[in-house]
This record gives sequence, C-alpha cells and structure tokens, in this order.
Amino acid sequence: MSAFDVVKAAVLLFVAAILQVSVFTQVHVLGGVPDILLVTLVSIALLRGSIVGALGGFFAGLLVDTATLGTLGLTSLVLTIAGYWIGRYGETTGRDRAHAPFTSVAVVTFLYLFGLVIVHFVLGENAPAGPVARGLLPEIGMNLLLTAPVYALVRRLLRPLDRTDYATEVQLLG
Amino acid sequence: MPVASRDRTARVAVLGSSVRRSRNDRFPSRGKSTLVRRVVLTTLILVALGLLTISFRSPTSGALHDVQGYGASALRPFQVAAQRVARPFQDVYGYFSGLANAKSENKKLRRELQEWQAIANANVAAARQSPELKRLLHYEEGATYPTGYRPVNTTVISYPSGPFAQQVTIGAGSHSGIHVGTPVVTADGLIGRVTNVFNSTAQVTLLTDANSAVPARDVTHSVAGLIRHGQGSSLILDLVSKQLPVKKGDIVVTQGTVDRRYPDLYPYGIAIGRVQSVGTSDIASYLSIQVTPFAQLDSLDAVAALIPKHPR
Repeated sequence: MSAFDVVKAAVLLFVAAILQVSVFTQVHVLGGVPDILLVTLVSIALLRGSIVGALGGFFAGLLVDTATLGTLGLTSLVLTIAGYWIGRYGETTGRDRAHAPFTSVAVVTFLYLFGLVIVHFVLGENAPAGPVARGLLPEIGMNLLLTAPVYALVRRLLRPLDRTDYATEVQLLG
Repeated sequence: MPVASRDRTARVAVLGSSVRRSRNDRFPSRGKSTLVRRVVLTTLILVALGLLTISFRSPTSGALHDVQGYGASALRPFQVAAQRVARPFQDVYGYFSGLANAKSENKKLRRELQEWQAIANANVAAARQSPELKRLLHYEEGATYPTGYRPVNTTVISYPSGPFAQQVTIGAGSHSGIHVGTPVVTADGLIGRVTNVFNSTAQVTLLTDANSAVPARDVTHSVAGLIRHGQGSSLILDLVSKQLPVKKGDIVVTQGTVDRRYPDLYPYGIAIGRVQSVGTSDIASYLSIQVTPFAQLDSLDAVAALIPKHPR
C-alpha cells in the first residue's frame, strides 16, 4: 500500500467521521441512525486488509470521541476490532465476492452496536439493550443502502490490490 | 504457453533441489506478516484501553482533557462546514415532512393557543400584583430567569454519537463564560446542563441522560418533583406522592433554589415540558408521571447557555 493510498484512506475516514457526528446522527428513522463512518471503514478494510482496517478504525474512533467530547478510546476500541476483523475477512474468504461489502456491513453493524452495549456495561454506565435491539433492523437497512455508493467511491479511490499483494495467504499452485 | 512452462520450470527447480528447508522457513513471509498484524492489533487495543482508562478516570481535567479540547477546537470548523453543506437538504426534508403533518399540527396548535391565551390572561393580572406584593413583604429573591441571566447564543456542532450517548457539543466554551453546570435552553425550554467545558466548545448532557436529575415543579398545581429520563425521548416527574393532584396537560418548570445553602444549578421558571400521562399503582410509592419535553431534544440546533449576570 502506497503512502498516497494511506492519505486517501485517512481523508475518507476524516470526512466520514465529520459527516457522521455533524449530520448523520440527526437522521432518525424508526429508531435507527445511518452510520456512514462504519460503512466507509468496512469498505477500506475490505480493500486494504486487516492492518489498515485496524489503524483506520482506531483513527476514526479517536476523531469521533474528540469531536463529540466523549470518553477517549471508547469508540476507537470497538472500531479497531471491527476494522481488523473485516480486514481479515477481506484478505481471506471475502475477496472477489460481490456480496462481501453487504454481508460485512450487516454483520459489523450488529456487532458494533452490541459491542458498544458491552463496553458501556463494563464501564458501569447505563446501557439498555432494548432500544438498540429495536433500532437494529432500521440501522442495518440504512447502512446497506449506503453500502453500494460508499463502496463504489472507496473502490474508485483505492484500487483493489492484486492477488500477488496478498502475500500472507495460501495460494494453490497449478 | 509461456506462463505454464515458467511455472513448471520453477516447480522443477524447487523439487529438484537437494537443500532441505527447516519447518520454520516454509512460509517465512506468512509468519512475519501474522506477527506484524497481531502486534499492530494488540498495540492499538492497549492504547485504546489506556486512553479509555485515563479519560474515564478524569473526564473534566488533566493533560488528556486539554489535548481533547484542542482537538475539538481544530475539528470545529469542519463540523460547522459540514452542517452548512447539509442544511439545504435538511430544510427540504423538513419542508416536506412539515407539509405531511401540517393539517393535524394546525389543529393541535389552535387548541394549545386557546389554552395559552387563558393562562396569559391570568398571568397579566398576577404580574401586576406581584411587584406590589414583593415590596410589601420585603421579598428577597435570587436571579430570576430570564432577566437575571445573560444568554450565550451558540449552535450545536455535534450530536450524540451512539445509542447511549445523551450529550451534544456546543460551539462556545469557557472563553464565553460557560462553566460546568451552566444550564442550556432553547426557545422552547430547558435541554440540559454543561458537564464538560473547553476553551471554545462545551459538552451538554441532555435531560434524557440516565444521570440527569432536575428539581422541577408542576406550576399548574404547585407540586414539586424530580425530572428524570423516561422511555425514549420522554421524561418522568418522579418523587411525587400519590395524594398530590397532577393532571394531564400540566406545565412543568424548573424548581430553582429552595434552600440558599444548597443552590440549584437551574433558576426557577425554565419551561421543561407538559404532563403527558399520570398513572398510579398499589405497589408504587409515587405517581408515575410522564412528561413530554417542550424542546426537541433529538433535533437541536440553536441553543443558549445561561450565565448569571451577578454571580454570587
């Protein structure tokens, strides 16, 4: 991955984080809120792998926690794990599959929301799972709607890696 | 078939080699990459946990708090720019959404207008008597809302980031006179208080936060209670005995300071909401009073922080 790709990924995550905290959090549909930052992170992690996914998740979480004056590290922790996990999926079974972005977004939305429930619960804060469960399907639906345009944009900016760039994986020879 | 022959050559070269590789050297790049990946992940998680611990232990002070404040100030122009870009789209959405609900809302507003008109007429007569009565009683009082307070008008620059967050960030901070505990209102009523303050930004915890509690008074029936969060975006008026009269439609405002030794953060008389329902049960000690806030807590925009003109 070139330095220019790193800059492009950072700019994408920065813009997505700003849009998320300033605009998208106001959009409430049936109890769900679209998460453009999560969709962008999933797209980047799928195209660039687990290390970039983890670093991107950490950076994006730090931006969100700073902009909202929240507890630093909380969103970073959850997004780092989400980015890493989706990156691994992209490096292994998920690559070259058309449904990978949609599957990833649906699963990560579920895990991200309940990951937040767990972290808040561990910190001793009020974390009722009921409202999260009620807003889950609308949120997954809205995130899936965002997936196609966001993934297309990210894919256009970050060209998919060649097979030879996945040096860490098993390749069956002739 | 140049590609096939090249592969075959390479394989023959490997198979024909007499050098025996050790078990560890079979996939050197894979092992190294796995190690790097795990080191990166572990490091990031440890750093996140470290930040979380420090930030959780000292949320309103310390070096990390200052760094976060500078970061928030640096991000502020981008947030304002994003909101300005999105504003036309929000306006269009709001316009069509308003059209869809206009007829039923018009009917409701006409009914409310009649009620308010009756209250306003009664208030005019009471307001004329009030100065005279205060003079006769040598009545002492603290700063009253809104005349005893200077509003710092500002805008909300970020909204709750997750399903459990009930905090918004406003674009004014300690440089404008805001401090921890400053009440924040909209034109409709109280929204919450400042819980974390930086130079040019501040965090406001909304009334719907689980830790929020505001001493309040039902002005219609002069009943005191405590406003706490309820289901969703609603509130409850808690600690009201079952014998006390509270009715649907009553107006709830802030209680203000009752005992000078324990001054309240909120001045008397800031509108909070209207009683939506009143319930009771045999096993509960208090009435179950649901209050709908006047302020639209999930779509805040312009707000005002209330700074006392003569702090005591």
